[in-house]
Amino acid sequence: MIYFFYTAICLGLVIAQTAILSRLPVPGGFYDLLIPFIVYLGLLRPLRESLPFVIFLGLIVDSLSGSPFGLYLTVYFWLYVAVKGVTRLVQAPDRLLIAAMVVAAGVLAENLIFMGALVMAGPDRQIGAHTFGDIAIQGLWAFFTGPLFILFYKNAQKWMGNVFRAFYARREQG
Amino acid sequence: MVIIVGVIVLIAVNIIVLSLNARRYSTLGLGRFAVSFTAPFQELATRTMRFSREVWRDYFYLVGVARENHGLRGRLDQAAEKNNQWRETELANARLRDLLNFQKTIIEQVVAAEVISRDPSAWFKTVIIDKGRADGVAKGLPVVMPRGIAGQVIEVSSHYSKVMLIIDRNSAVDALVQRTRARGIVKGESASWCRLQYVLRKNDVHIGDTIVSSGLDGVYPKGLRIGRVSELVDHDAEIFHEITVVPFVDFEKLEEVLVVVDRRKHDIASRR
Repeated sequence: MIYFFYTAICLGLVIAQTAILSRLPVPGGFYDLLIPFIVYLGLLRPLRESLPFVIFLGLIVDSLSGSPFGLYLTVYFWLYVAVKGVTRLVQAPDRLLIAAMVVAAGVLAENLIFMGALVMAGPDRQIGAHTFGDIAIQGLWAFFTGPLFILFYKNAQKWMGNVFRAFYARREQG
Repeated sequence: MVIIVGVIVLIAVNIIVLSLNARRYSTLGLGRFAVSFTAPFQELATRTMRFSREVWRDYFYLVGVARENHGLRGRLDQAAEKNNQWRETELANARLRDLLNFQKTIIEQVVAAEVISRDPSAWFKTVIIDKGRADGVAKGLPVVMPRGIAGQVIEVSSHYSKVMLIIDRNSAVDALVQRTRARGIVKGESASWCRLQYVLRKNDVHIGDTIVSSGLDGVYPKGLRIGRVSELVDHDAEIFHEITVVPFVDFEKLEEVLVVVDRRKHDIASRR
């Protein structure tokens, strides 16, 4: 059930990102919508349940992108590890402010890793002063909208769990 | 201590694998699976968006359409006259080609495809189209538009394909300056422009010159338009021009493309 839920969320996010958001004129571009989901998995879900999915997600997005294979996997994996580290340091990781900061930091880290990978491959004129402005805008978007996504995932998962429990309870009674 | 060493080793392995993968595009076969898995849903989302947009255009813009219709009728009359002139020119051109035994540049068979999704990252420029192996599409085939070159197929599943656009930083097209036949390589910049590299400074290049494919890379048909020179910088210490090219294809509005499926004919045409 839980993997069905994760797969449905990810499919929805990937479609939104590749088929819908990419056609909308968002100044500076919208941030990677999968980042709040990775943060959600890292902050609020157990390792054994979420880590395989983080790896699966990285491989899927890597396959859909023209980036060097493994770049998204790298970003998602290390972001997940970092978020798990945050949960050890912070008393109440589900607080919205912490979630907002972690999502924004995740978006900035993703862009920096991408820039690093591009620079490693050779000089790149794509990276200029405007790039840092775009990344800052993405960070702000992430800070304000990221916690809303996390709240949505948390409540959707709770709701889905209740629906399935009620369904099985009714079946057992019947 | 063991954890720290483990993390360092993992980071090192990660960087090595990434730098190896960055040299040559490969998804280790996972690309086909991922595209087949997600593309039908992406196609559904894209078609729904297009349908909504068309409903908006058709029903809510009717007021402007009546006025536009009047203007268009006038332009249609002019176009019909021009069309007649072009037909005459085309017939003359065909006769001259036969006469001089010229090989047409575009003799390939093409397959029309719709763009159903774009790259998840703004740093890379690829799209997924709704034609695949079942339609005759294969890895490495060129993708063109009536306005010019769009890109190259880099991954194929049964009904969908991934196309790397010429503005992607991993793309390279062997090109010519149409006016002077100076040769160079058009490299993507992952922005809305490209760079024309390796054109010697002794070659005459001006802003506004049209850049066309040379056909020598064995991928793109010869003579297809790529873009226009928008910026030209010459450094004293450099032996090459630094040329910026703005592609003719508007990649932001890319919706339909043509995949050249019969490359064998094209190869023969290029060699002649």
